[in-house]
Amino acid sequence: MFKKDMKEKLKSFVFDGIMGSYLFLILVTDFFPLVGLESLTLDLFDENDRLMLDYATQWFLVVFFVLGFLSYVINESGLGKTLGEVIFEPPHKKSRVTIERPRWAQVWFWQIILFLFFTVLVSIRVTEFSFSQLFDEDGFAGVLRLINGLATPNWKLLPKAVSSIVVTIFMAFIATFLAIPVAFVLSFLAAKNIMKSPVGFTIYLSLRTIFNVVRSIEALIWAIIFSVWVGIGPFAGMLALMMHSIASLAKQYSEIIETVSDGPIEGIASTGARPFQVIWFAIVPQVVLPFISFTIYRWDINIRMATVVGLVGGGGIGTLFIQYSGQAMWHEVGTIILVIAFVVWFMDTASAYLREALK
Amino acid sequence: MAGYPILKISNLKKVYPNGTVALKNISFTVFQGEFLVIIGLSGSGKSTLLRCINRLHDPTEGSIIFKNQEDIATIKDPRKIREIRRKIAMIFQQFNLIPRHTVLSNVLMGRLADMPTWKSILGLFAKEDVEKALKYLDLVGIREKANMRVDQLSGGQQQRVAIARALAQGPEILLADEPVASLDPATCHVVMDYLKKVNQELGITIIANLHFLSLVREYATRVIALKAGELVFEGSPNQINEDWFEKIYGEGTREVHIQ
Repeated sequence: MFKKDMKEKLKSFVFDGIMGSYLFLILVTDFFPLVGLESLTLDLFDENDRLMLDYATQWFLVVFFVLGFLSYVINESGLGKTLGEVIFEPPHKKSRVTIERPRWAQVWFWQIILFLFFTVLVSIRVTEFSFSQLFDEDGFAGVLRLINGLATPNWKLLPKAVSSIVVTIFMAFIATFLAIPVAFVLSFLAAKNIMKSPVGFTIYLSLRTIFNVVRSIEALIWAIIFSVWVGIGPFAGMLALMMHSIASLAKQYSEIIETVSDGPIEGIASTGARPFQVIWFAIVPQVVLPFISFTIYRWDINIRMATVVGLVGGGGIGTLFIQYSGQAMWHEVGTIILVIAFVVWFMDTASAYLREALK
Repeated sequence: MAGYPILKISNLKKVYPNGTVALKNISFTVFQGEFLVIIGLSGSGKSTLLRCINRLHDPTEGSIIFKNQEDIATIKDPRKIREIRRKIAMIFQQFNLIPRHTVLSNVLMGRLADMPTWKSILGLFAKEDVEKALKYLDLVGIREKANMRVDQLSGGQQQRVAIARALAQGPEILLADEPVASLDPATCHVVMDYLKKVNQELGITIIANLHFLSLVREYATRVIALKAGELVFEGSPNQINEDWFEKIYGEGTREVHIQ
């Protein structure tokens, strides 16, 4: 019995321990400025701070073990349930019929309350939330000037804005277009139901990890990386979008492949067909339409992303925007924003219509 | 009427990776040209048995000797496994066709094993293959639907397409896994009649899983029964009286009749 629940007990120990020491850490760092949050991030090399950081780490570990042990005692003694116990409770224990105490008398309830309370408090401090700045008079005047400029756009800039957004649309298109074949091939290698062998599973796992890493790096950051590589301009922006699209499409494609029904696969396999033929005749027909639908949606997303990528020098309408906003030419900026809004609205509607028609 | 032993199955055992024992020491012989029906409750191992014969599943132990030559149960080479699948065709309860493709294209998929991969992907089917496919569609009476999409057909028609696809493989044995279980009673007989035709006119050995004893009595030339993975009966269909029925299906069960 003890052995059976070891894993769950350990999980709940670690969970409660980490939660408790997290609360401890934000308390000491933010309320008793033993180690200020700023010094944690900015001045890591200050000898004094480093000493305090070591000090905090030691205390963190001590608190972790003390609270973890405390949670273990609470759960074992039947005094109550900690949050870790609630989350990682083994199924056979869950089905026990017990007399439950009201929520406010439960340990886990107070753990959630404390966690939320202190996290909200610290988040507000970290973001430097300030009502006085939000309702500042000078600030209001600035915004009014800006809105006024946006409301009276300079239509002389329209041809230039339109030709820039055409660059953006083409950039998004070619990035999506080039990403399709790569993502298509990779998606089959990243689908669990195809990569069943041990070697296959390794490929599946590593590909999925790579996709997630590439996807979690914003297109904006990819654009900066590529602008160092190939120079600032639409080409860098396109490469950034392509990189992001390959990872996103491949992940979505492979998830579609994982939901195909097994019947046709078994049917084609039973004729003695080769594995590639099984994929081509049993899986591909099932995934083609959802693939197209996701690809159109990706193009739509890419147009919006291409605008943002342009802000860091990726070319197209974004670059135009940053030029005029940098000079505080709000009438021109107004024209650009209107053009962007129109195109994004149009592509959004068109892609939604197309995807609906494909169903 | 029974010919030479086309399959000699001995001590066949199948244990799934999760530990479920689906088949325990099954031994029987299938003779060329017979219409053998396997009966038994759901979960008694009927489907597993069929899938072991064409190696969609790998048997754990035992042997399946095909035409006194090779042992299907122990083949390792994927190419040889595919060759066995081509010779031992199969139809399924859920038909397992490609819904978005036409009837003809589905039947042509029975030819995949015999053509180079690149040709099949470009859809370059030989003229003889198309003619063969149309001939088998004719045999199951739906030649005029050749250019329709499969998902526009009724269940009974889809199962006939599946039979045509199986025949296009040029098989020596046809496995039928609950071929009529998802069809209405009237369509059942149509599909079963085509299986009988395949059996009698083309001389293809048929091994079918069936639920309804009335169908068994009408179509089977021989019956085996499985219960919890074990072979509990082997004989002719009219030997199955009430006593046997209760032994196979459990006490207190009653036979359902189908017209």
